Amino acid sequence: MEQHSQTFLDNAHRALQDADRARRRDLLGRLVPAARTAAVEAFDHFEALRRHVRRVRQHALDNLDHYLTQFEREALHNGNHLHYATDDAALNSIVLDICQQHSARRIAKGKSMVTEETGLNSYLQRAGLDVMETDLGEYIIQQAGETPSHIVGPALHKSAAEIRELFLQKHDLGARELVATSDLVGEARQVLREHFLAAEVGIIGANALVAENGYCMLVTNEGNGDLCANLPSVLIVCTTVDRILPRAEDATAMLRLLVRSATGQAQTCYTSFYSGPRREADLDGPLETHIVLLDNKRSDLLASDYREMLQCIRCGACLNHCPIYTSVGGHAYGWVYPGPMGSVLTPLLTSLESSNALPNACTACGRCAQVCPADIPLPDLLRDLRHEEVQARLSPARWRRGMQVHAWLAGRPRLYHFLSGLGVAALALLGRRTGSFRRLPMAGGWTSQRDLPAPQGRTFMRQYRRRQRQRDAR
Amino acid sequence: MPVSDRAALFARVRHGCRGAPAADIEAQLRGLGRAPAAALPAADVATSFLVNVLKNQGSANAAEHRSGAVSAVSAYLYAHYRSQRLVAGNDPRLAAMPWRDAGVLPRFGAVAPGESVTLSFARLGVAEMGAVVIYTGRSNPAANNLLPERHIVLLDSSDLVSDMESAWERINADMEKLGRPRGVNFIAGPSSTADIEGQLVYGAHGPRGWHVILIGDNATDALQQARAIAGR
Repeated sequence: MEQHSQTFLDNAHRALQDADRARRRDLLGRLVPAARTAAVEAFDHFEALRRHVRRVRQHALDNLDHYLTQFEREALHNGNHLHYATDDAALNSIVLDICQQHSARRIAKGKSMVTEETGLNSYLQRAGLDVMETDLGEYIIQQAGETPSHIVGPALHKSAAEIRELFLQKHDLGARELVATSDLVGEARQVLREHFLAAEVGIIGANALVAENGYCMLVTNEGNGDLCANLPSVLIVCTTVDRILPRAEDATAMLRLLVRSATGQAQTCYTSFYSGPRREADLDGPLETHIVLLDNKRSDLLASDYREMLQCIRCGACLNHCPIYTSVGGHAYGWVYPGPMGSVLTPLLTSLESSNALPNACTACGRCAQVCPADIPLPDLLRDLRHEEVQARLSPARWRRGMQVHAWLAGRPRLYHFLSGLGVAALALLGRRTGSFRRLPMAGGWTSQRDLPAPQGRTFMRQYRRRQRQRDAR
Repeated sequence: MPVSDRAALFARVRHGCRGAPAADIEAQLRGLGRAPAAALPAADVATSFLVNVLKNQGSANAAEHRSGAVSAVSAYLYAHYRSQRLVAGNDPRLAAMPWRDAGVLPRFGAVAPGESVTLSFARLGVAEMGAVVIYTGRSNPAANNLLPERHIVLLDSSDLVSDMESAWERINADMEKLGRPRGVNFIAGPSSTADIEGQLVYGAHGPRGWHVILIGDNATDALQQARAIAGR
């Protein structure tokens, strides 16, 4: 997928101008976290569950060579074809080859962030294939020619009115009323059902891969992924090695975290495990199944200090709780994965040079780490990336010099207190009459949006020490 | 070349791993213990299962034995379609039921375009999720779970388990005996979507209606209690 992460600040600025979308983002930023909190509280032992799953995933990653070998053996035994793709281009060409071998024209696709990452749709379309996204949200943005704004609800940035206009324009179904949301869903169901029944190849992602039996776990509410996995005669699962878990029960333990963290549900409607092609007496199911394992730098992450990021279960909780994400939306991040998890993943899966604005899109509030079901220390990883950014001299020279001066000063507490005391006293004197500053030198960006209240004359540390002395004297 | 891509990936993965012996890995995994499950909404498994079915926006009924289940199916068909037709997989348990007594007209096989209702006999019910577990195969074509407007599922109360770990114990035992089914489907509610402005709509791609009939001695009591707890 094309990347626009480097213009994050401009993207964000533009996003903030759209009041209607900003209002919807704000609403989702309150409703979805509330639903999650309620679901987590109803669970009773959520912390213990989070600890357990983290230990299992760490164990799986520590021994990934063992579990990958086991998964490969079992998946082959189940009758699958296995493929390995080092990068985007490799995955795309493997998938196209399979489609061409079967002279396929129509592809039904379930939601898959991995194929968003590789830009599979446009690659297959350039080769003349009719690729249709079947998750309702993905379908809407595909029709609109947009990219996902959220990894769970890809079209949540659009209003129902926009979607109504889009459907009236794109679906050749004559004059009709599309009033209620259920009318829109019903129309998409009708259009997509025809495509499902005609598609020769289904493509899905996987929420987990089970090493002990070679099954792929697929979690959806709509059932669209299951239609992709069951109706066409060829099934291709596009996924990555970090989805591998030792046992089926580990996959469903992770599912408990996933559903509650993603949508605040206690349960998704369809949780399916698929092992391979149709068995002898089966009445339906694909005749041929392929699993494509994409690496795209994940094996580098495994050997790096950012390994914990491979524990991400793609629930989107960190997005829903991030003050930056809920203000500017997913498109501002300029690639597949937005929000805190995206600000870590994007530099690691693309390059820091092309996305160093993202680790800075953080207020260090720590909410993402608090709610992350995989217990990933997202603010720490973002800070490490900012550190790398400075070391690689990617941030502006003026900024770097300023930080050097600050670091030098912060390492000398006496001098720091003396100078900040001087500054505070000077500001107090200057602001005595008006009580606040409308403009300040070197802080124009800050004061352009608000006034700085004038300090009261003494720094916090001075007041604190004086009170301590007074208390000791008493 | 695919072989070299595989070799490269395995080499890189190995580089990031500890290279522990398989026996140690297995022992360590066993040492991690069992994950905590969700708290059940009632004291017994049957009631908890039905509470969660209702919370998942399913509808439910109960019968003491199989002839009662046939009547319940007939009542559901009449209420929604004023008809007695449905499609069921080639499950021997379904074939053996006294359909004629209630006038129900099942066709056995995979659902075809234009057919609105299907019937499945679940292998398991999981109380924690309010889900039924169905294996795809001759007894249950996958299309029957996914394509109809309404899906009716029968479940014996002796096939209820409390949590997903217990479900896998049973499923793994089945796999040992019968081999691995192509698909193991946990179904917990009608197909739904919230992709348009976060508004929940049922019948996104799959069934709009999901009706579970629990069969067993205690099923009717459990249903009554479940309705009181779920408030539905």
